[in-house]
Amino acid sequence: MRSPVWRVVRPVVTIVLANVIAWLLLGTQQFANFLTLGSIYALIALGYTMVYGIIELINFAHGDVFMVGSFLALWILTVPLGMTGALRDPPTLIVVLAVVMAATMAVMGALGVFIERFAYRPLRHAPRLAPLITAIGVSFILQNVVYTLFGPSPRNVPQVFPLDRFDLLGGKISYLSVFMLVVALGLMVALQLFVGRTRLGRAMRSTAQDREAAELMGVDINQTIAITFFLAAALAGSAGVIQGLYFGSTKFDLGFFAGLKAFTAAVLGGIGNTTGAAIGGFVIAFIEVFATVLGYSRWSEVAVFTVLILVLVFRPSGLLGQQLGERT
Amino acid sequence: MKVTKLGAFVASAVFVFAACSSGTATNAPASGGGGSAATPGAWCVGGTVKIGTEFPMSGGETANGGPATNGVKLAIKQQNAKGGILGCKIDINVQDDAVAGVHDPQQGAKNIGTLAADAAVIGVVGPYNSGVAKAEIPISNEAGLLMCSPANTNDGVTKPPEGDKYRTAHPDKISYIRTATPDSIQGPAGADYVYKDLGAKSVYIIDDTETFGVGVGDTFQAEFKALGGTVVKRDSAPKSTSDYTPLFTAAAALKPAAVYLAGTAPSGMALAMKQGRTVPGMETIPFFGPDGTTDLVAGGGTGAMLTTVAAAGHDLYGTVGAVHDIPDPKGFADAYQAEFKDAPGAYSSPSYACAQVIMQSLEKAAATATDLATAREGVRANATNTANSFDTAIGKLSFDKYGDNTAPYISYYKTDMTLAGGKGDWVFVKQVAFQPK
Amino acid sequence: MNGAGSRLRDFASAGRAGLNRISSRLRDLASSHRSIAIMVGWAVIATLLPLLVLIPPLSTFQQQKLWIDGFANAGVFILLAMGLNVVVGLAGLLDLGYAAFFAIGAYAYGLGASPFTGLAIPFWPMLLVGAVVAATFGILLGAPTLRLRGDYLAIVTLGFGEIVPAVFLNADKYTNGTNGIGGVLKPELLGFRFTLGNPLPYYIAMVVVLALTMVFLYRLQDSRLGRAWMAVREDELAAASSGVNTVTTKLLAFALGASTAGLAGVFTAAKLTLVSPDQFSFAVSFTVLAMVVLGGMGNIWGVAVGAFVIYTIQSVLLKQLNQFFQTINLPVLKDIDFVQYQFLLYGLALVAMMLLRPEGLFPSSRRKRELHEASEEVADVPPPTEALDG
Repeated sequence: MRSPVWRVVRPVVTIVLANVIAWLLLGTQQFANFLTLGSIYALIALGYTMVYGIIELINFAHGDVFMVGSFLALWILTVPLGMTGALRDPPTLIVVLAVVMAATMAVMGALGVFIERFAYRPLRHAPRLAPLITAIGVSFILQNVVYTLFGPSPRNVPQVFPLDRFDLLGGKISYLSVFMLVVALGLMVALQLFVGRTRLGRAMRSTAQDREAAELMGVDINQTIAITFFLAAALAGSAGVIQGLYFGSTKFDLGFFAGLKAFTAAVLGGIGNTTGAAIGGFVIAFIEVFATVLGYSRWSEVAVFTVLILVLVFRPSGLLGQQLGERT
Repeated sequence: MKVTKLGAFVASAVFVFAACSSGTATNAPASGGGGSAATPGAWCVGGTVKIGTEFPMSGGETANGGPATNGVKLAIKQQNAKGGILGCKIDINVQDDAVAGVHDPQQGAKNIGTLAADAAVIGVVGPYNSGVAKAEIPISNEAGLLMCSPANTNDGVTKPPEGDKYRTAHPDKISYIRTATPDSIQGPAGADYVYKDLGAKSVYIIDDTETFGVGVGDTFQAEFKALGGTVVKRDSAPKSTSDYTPLFTAAAALKPAAVYLAGTAPSGMALAMKQGRTVPGMETIPFFGPDGTTDLVAGGGTGAMLTTVAAAGHDLYGTVGAVHDIPDPKGFADAYQAEFKDAPGAYSSPSYACAQVIMQSLEKAAATATDLATAREGVRANATNTANSFDTAIGKLSFDKYGDNTAPYISYYKTDMTLAGGKGDWVFVKQVAFQPK
Repeated sequence: MNGAGSRLRDFASAGRAGLNRISSRLRDLASSHRSIAIMVGWAVIATLLPLLVLIPPLSTFQQQKLWIDGFANAGVFILLAMGLNVVVGLAGLLDLGYAAFFAIGAYAYGLGASPFTGLAIPFWPMLLVGAVVAATFGILLGAPTLRLRGDYLAIVTLGFGEIVPAVFLNADKYTNGTNGIGGVLKPELLGFRFTLGNPLPYYIAMVVVLALTMVFLYRLQDSRLGRAWMAVREDELAAASSGVNTVTTKLLAFALGASTAGLAGVFTAAKLTLVSPDQFSFAVSFTVLAMVVLGGMGNIWGVAVGAFVIYTIQSVLLKQLNQFFQTINLPVLKDIDFVQYQFLLYGLALVAMMLLRPEGLFPSSRRKRELHEASEEVADVPPPTEALDG
């Protein structure tokens, strides 16, 4: 029997060790790149894994919700707020960021609920592949609505966060990357607490485990699934805001590949497992950045999927997924 | 009763089938009537002939295909205002080669088949992508339908030994011409400028994995090395890349003196530059690109390179595979602006010129043409005749025996971020008739 | 406008009646001599299609020759859909990277018969070679994924679907990279050379390939192997304990599914005369999956129709909508640029079709039951009163 202390210490030690190794392999500058990219992948992957966990749907429209989130952030920043460049005054910056983040997450959450209500709920008892096809249909619709509103070219998002850097361990780190990582980790912890400690979170977990039993226990299934979609889409929206701030641009077809990477991350971590999805996001970002460091950037996509296949061959349910027997 | 109805349908269908199998065009609209100036010849069936366009018109690549198609529309409109060609009105047949938002060789092939089957089409302007052209040329070659691309630069499209593979049905009859200077000239011309004029002895090359980007990147690389320069790193990043920062961070460690952006702005080079500039060590060094990035559109223009890179657009240079001293650039830009409420794109004027080549060829062919088929063949024969030359919006054009532009001029440009109200614009540096080493 | 509408309605009802009649006839025939019925069915369809497109409104979209060319292309997708149906519909293995095998088939022919390699192996034997090469890769992919279930398999196949075109793109020494392989040889039959200007020979060749493939697949479905696939799909553990070798069964599903895609790849390469890595994106895998699901998983004729419908919507109807509305001159619609909105319409069509027919247009009767979720399976159990009565 391991002590409860070890149960807390072990993951912390593992994560710290993994990061030290990553830092040694990548160097400071690329390590910072890896963490920022990983944050975005992880935030999107969380939504994938939550939706899968609760209704076993590969929500291909999820990447596009992320994309719509980045465009919404662009709109909020430019139209109502009238931003054009960096904000040098910290209090103003914090207020602006908080407004954009909150508004985007709320609207995207609502969009997620809306999509679930009209495209997935009617198919809840249909053959399993039917909602998969509507998910891709929804993905096309979202892309084309944005395409019609904003055009085919990349659109610039005002980089309200100054791109100043500080020196650390031989690298120049931007404050923005630190901010991104803090926001991403903060949201992940908040999600863990919500799912683990609240009544609604318990409803989500029980629905994921056994929908009928949960229903018999008085859980409102429709409401619980709607909340899951709300949270998933809100997280994708937050990733969209971060994307806009960090890269300073967004594009209508950004969602597909982001979604693909995030889906891969979710599966790599063990689909349905939120911690696994976050770890999967960082692992994929690491593979991509490491391939670049080694000079094999053109093979990075191949590397990501090869690692995924290898992991699944040896751990068929992903890194942290429950290793179930033959019958699931 | 229902069955009889179906039977009637089948019977009528068989009838139409028989009627149609003579192979004449059925959908040439009978509108417009005769022109104002003269009565068109017998080749002008129904008073109208058509120019086809074949570009990506949906999805992300509309940014390229839209302005190119508009160039053709403008040329046609202006010609019709002058009474058409010898009294024959000109119409347009627009095709889209994007499937699910991305250019698709199969769809391109289908479109050329569609245009070839429309007997009123006397020539086609397009395509945008060299990869698409390679699927289309065998079909246009077999049908004897002239294609004029304002954008294809890949050498293999026309030049042997690869070019011969696509002219399978009529190896001796060229059916494809292009206005753009091929990669084998544009890449080396860029290398020459970076090495000699900018004095950069080491360079980092990033391409977009597409036919154009890889081609121009390879030829740049070869010439740069031949001049004595060092290529510190060569990367390939597909259009799906969202984060270019790790690539530029790795390259910055090797301290290149310049960056060559081998690709086009929409396929990722604009984002690459925007993100690359934020990497320590890459903030001030010169960036250089081919005409895929040198779109000559001021910052703020829809989909322009300078619009995307914004403040990072300083110290950006580029080549365009065409002469700079074109007859009336302002007149063209104003007419385009008036018609489409937008600034012309990089491929608007070459497309316009392609339409002019087709129309002037038709004028030359009109004397001998007796029907649509001979008019089409006449256009092809005249446009590809190496003895002919054409006065166009981008200057005098003539084509060699492979269909390539005989005057491979290269014009050099750089950005000036003080222009266009601080949004930046391109300024002309010099133009040369470049010959690679 | 009213006239056009009622004419459309008349046409639709006549068509439906005809189809019903034909399908009931076919069903009668099928029960006795299925293989012959399939051959006859294809011969009838192949003769009728070129005539059907001469009738408005179809004739307003494009000329007969272009329709025939489109049908030959649609045939490629029908082949793909029938092959994916073996994997997804019959054996229940979700494959999201099916385009990989399509690419492998196309590259097999591109390398076997083009000036790039200097080889000139004739088309007909290459059809088989392409199928065998693709099947081999099907087994190579299948082997490591045997332990994976459901959606884990989906992501691995998706990954494979991304890896294969990326390898063809990056291994430029052997594949000519992004430039692709051009000048691929056109088929030749007893001295008759296929040409790009005449789609009819391609069309006929495709119909023959389709008919033979379908006969083969129907026989397979009714064979011991077909029943094993369905057993594995419904309950792998139960199948294994009743003596089904699940390893071979699954591998054969991958191999046979892939071989059909190989055929389609060889055919496409020979028709387009070009093979390039950008022809085999995820969009292809997904489109084929949508065809299978929309047609009705497990129903071979159903998926063929699904493939035909989706291909025609995507590559003909949506592309020609502008021209169509201009020809029939409807006041508001003729001014809208539909080319801009085609993918929006495609997305809406997919969602609408799935919401209206979640089991596809022609659900397979055997497939219907076990596809439903647990809650409905519970409902399938006879109520206790009935049990008592019995």
